[in-house]
Amino acid sequence: MPPALLDPPLSKTSSVSSLISGTISQEPVPENRLFDDLRGLQWRINLGVLPSSSSSTSVDDLRRATANSRRRYASLRGRLLVDPHVPKDESSSPNLVMDNPLSQNPNSTWGRFFHNAELERMVDQDLSRLYPEHGNYFQTKGCQGILRRILLLWCLRHPDCGYRQGMHELLAPLLYVLQVDVERLAEVRKLYEDHFTDRFDGLFCQENDLSYSFDFKKSSDLTDDEIGSHGKGMKIKSLDELDPKIQTIVLLSDAYGVEGELGIVLSEKFIEHDAYCMFEALMNGAHGSVAMADFFSYSPVAGSHTGLPPVIEASAALYHLLSHVDSSLYSHLVDLGVEPQYFALRWLRVLFGREFSLDNLLIVWDEIFLSDNSKMEKHAEDNTDTCFRIFHSSRGAFISAIAVAMLLHIRSSLLATENPTTCLQRLLSFPENTNIKKLIEKAKSLQTLALSTEISSSTPALVEYNNKGKSVITRSVTTIACESGSPKTPKSLLPDNSYWEEKWRVVHSAEELKQDGVEKQVPSQKKRWTEKVKLSLKRTVSEPSSSTIKNGKKESKTSVKRSLLEDLSKELGSEEDIENLGCHETLCQQDNHSLAVEAEQQDDDSDVSNNYGADDRCLSRNTGSEENSFNLASPPNEFKDHENVSQKSSVGSNLSLDVINEISYSSPIDSPLPISDHPENNLSPVAGRNNDSTGNSATLSRNIKLNKFQWLWKFGRNNGELMSEKRGLASEAVKQTNKYNDQSNTASSSTAGDLCSSVNFNGDSADQNVMGTLKNIGQSMLEHIQVIEYAFQQECGQGTSLDNNTSKNVLVGKGQVTAMSALKELRKISNLLSEM
Amino acid sequence: MVLVLALGDLHVPHRAADLPAKFKSMLVPGKIQHIICTGNLCIKEVHDYLKTLCPDLHITRGEYDEETKYPETKTLTIGQFKLGLCHGHQVVPWGDLDSLAMLQRQLDVDILVTGHTHQFTAYKHEGGVVINPGSATGAYSSITYDVNPSFVLMDIDGLRVVVYVYELIDGEVKVDKIDFKKTSSNSSAH
Repeated sequence: MPPALLDPPLSKTSSVSSLISGTISQEPVPENRLFDDLRGLQWRINLGVLPSSSSSTSVDDLRRATANSRRRYASLRGRLLVDPHVPKDESSSPNLVMDNPLSQNPNSTWGRFFHNAELERMVDQDLSRLYPEHGNYFQTKGCQGILRRILLLWCLRHPDCGYRQGMHELLAPLLYVLQVDVERLAEVRKLYEDHFTDRFDGLFCQENDLSYSFDFKKSSDLTDDEIGSHGKGMKIKSLDELDPKIQTIVLLSDAYGVEGELGIVLSEKFIEHDAYCMFEALMNGAHGSVAMADFFSYSPVAGSHTGLPPVIEASAALYHLLSHVDSSLYSHLVDLGVEPQYFALRWLRVLFGREFSLDNLLIVWDEIFLSDNSKMEKHAEDNTDTCFRIFHSSRGAFISAIAVAMLLHIRSSLLATENPTTCLQRLLSFPENTNIKKLIEKAKSLQTLALSTEISSSTPALVEYNNKGKSVITRSVTTIACESGSPKTPKSLLPDNSYWEEKWRVVHSAEELKQDGVEKQVPSQKKRWTEKVKLSLKRTVSEPSSSTIKNGKKESKTSVKRSLLEDLSKELGSEEDIENLGCHETLCQQDNHSLAVEAEQQDDDSDVSNNYGADDRCLSRNTGSEENSFNLASPPNEFKDHENVSQKSSVGSNLSLDVINEISYSSPIDSPLPISDHPENNLSPVAGRNNDSTGNSATLSRNIKLNKFQWLWKFGRNNGELMSEKRGLASEAVKQTNKYNDQSNTASSSTAGDLCSSVNFNGDSADQNVMGTLKNIGQSMLEHIQVIEYAFQQECGQGTSLDNNTSKNVLVGKGQVTAMSALKELRKISNLLSEM
Repeated sequence: MVLVLALGDLHVPHRAADLPAKFKSMLVPGKIQHIICTGNLCIKEVHDYLKTLCPDLHITRGEYDEETKYPETKTLTIGQFKLGLCHGHQVVPWGDLDSLAMLQRQLDVDILVTGHTHQFTAYKHEGGVVINPGSATGAYSSITYDVNPSFVLMDIDGLRVVVYVYELIDGEVKVDKIDFKKTSSNSSAH
């Protein structure tokens, strides 16, 4: 980011800072909640209104800063709030022609008065509807008056921005926390009243002028000392016995400290002053890069490379981050045509004030303000063009991270929507019973991601590769361990493995050459990835499997597949003939070819007539594109067969068996798709290659096992198509598949995205059909999947998630009984995988 | 704070075509809370125009008004002031302070606004005010041809009234200001 880009907010704040003068001269270093129980005070520090209370700043400094900010507000108010009735000098109507109520001159007293009145009316319209649920505070006359004055003053101070709807909702929580602080103070005072006031009266009444209201005098001891030496007496006498927190409160509210009553940090009288200062700091960003006022302006910030209004740009940044984290959700939203600003406008402008209840909002804001708003240095240096400004400070990154975390929170319901209207409805009615802690936690992990991927924004494709390569590097150790740990790794697969590894190495080395410049970022990102996995993966299963996929492509793939097949065979074994089981297992150990045979066996078991009918169809369909027509044809057959069975909707365990079969087939089949696709891409990074062509070329050049792979992959596609056809959503589904395939082929799209999308494609189509019938189950499943989603970044857990997804969809489609049994099966699958 | 526009004797279209352009440009909607009009508009179009300035319009009937439904006198309370409205042709001799003071007592108002003479006058009388806003269009009267267009804007705020007098003299708008404070004893009498 060129420094020029950051100039506008700085210049804006500089005008402000000239007023603030010493107040925010210190860069706010987010202290870790020094004033934990005094949120308002903490916010004032975090927002830069008060100097950060590091060890160097004493209470005196706080008081001075407080007094300064209040003086500033008072003078501003005196200057800007005009009342034509107040006789200013009354020099016998100095210029009545100009200063009369009907004067056309906007600078006349009356002109300004009417202008203010107009603004006030506008503000009042919003204020009267502010937090009706907390009306007993916000709707009181005093509170409304304070809010109105502050907003009015701010607008007058910033005529270029003016009042925009939503500003009042930014201000209200600020006022609220100050009020809460004061109430807390009153509480404390009541508790320790005799302790303080007694002595005050006894010792100092005669010395101090009584014009001070006694509201805030707390500690006699303190006053004593402060008369002599300011504030040094905090540690003496009875105060020592107090809780340090109480001591702080006492100190902050002492009327006789520095600056006298004006310096009382927690003062009910100056709530308005303080709230204004906080509001101004929030709106102007106080030297930081995130200035809320920008979100209200329609013109792009000067120097912005995107040329978009800041809020639109921030929304785009939000989607950008989302595409990194959860590309399936991202592509879903994009497919629906849901532009980010449709909902992000509201989210960002009021800093999520409308999405959370006030209590939760305060917690969220705690975190937002705690993040440093100063622009980060590395961004000032790097010169990428399309960087999003919002990522320039950790606060901005956190804001977008929260937004993304919110998106992820309602991910499942979003994915279930089939048109933009319902999607937006869900986006704009964020569930109230949100676990705010979890959300923030997620946002924090996303924040680090946002801060690091920020660089990538200009060259997404490159970084995608970079990520990939790097994660491979990191994972290699783990992977090997996993591999060695799993005793069942078939020897026969090793040649394949080496082949793929070789391919990968070639590609990777090529990439490394490209990425020399970006290499620096790798370690940090590496760390981040691992962290993330730890954080997000409840099922550790998926991690090793995914990492194996990463490292030795073939190896992992086959192991996943093998386990799934085993699982399948178990299922079959339990339900049907037990001989099959043994047969299956031996088969599994063997070549992939045996799968076909095995499949055929199954076919025979279940339904012969269907099988053959389907067989023919599949043959005709696939022969054109594939050489190994036999291999190809039979498994799809089988799949079809199962489909047919399920179509009959036989209830109970039989059905569940089918379901599982489906799962176990579709998952190994689908999983190879991206994997095989990948190396292809890497081999020929030219964008826009079709899957089919890749597949064919691969088939031509590879050995039988590769063919097998291609076949599996084809099968996966067929599988998807069949499913969708069956559900009468053929066109859409196919479209989606095509899209995703395209995506996977373009070098720029993330591999993780491919996985996600291919996985979710199934989920979508099914969800659309049967949404609502078994929402609970579906949701819980999706939650699991969501967890796994994170792993997708490293192509992790595709097998598992695929499992989940498909099974879930099928589940949702069938009755409850099926659902329950299938859920059990699913658990088994995951157990199996974890053993692996 | 309430702004009350007081005007009358427009005599449109018989004696004047319209309000002076300078007046029209000053009178914009949104500023004025009440309009009191002493009468002689004379046609409905003027009434409609006044309505556009402020929907709260109070009119008494002048002798040339087409609209016969306007009352002869009207009283209204704005803030802590009680205002009386009458065209004034009924009060003889026309424009006589004592006669008007009688009407003021009759109506029991703090501020009495009358017209008909087409001359701006304002008297402080017996703890009240008697105001004649003159003719807003500068229409000639039955007494004189020499009439300057004028109207009055009252800024009522608590116990204080500031009367702004707008007069068009030689094409220039002249503004004058008269302060009037109601005594607290007077207010308690109400």
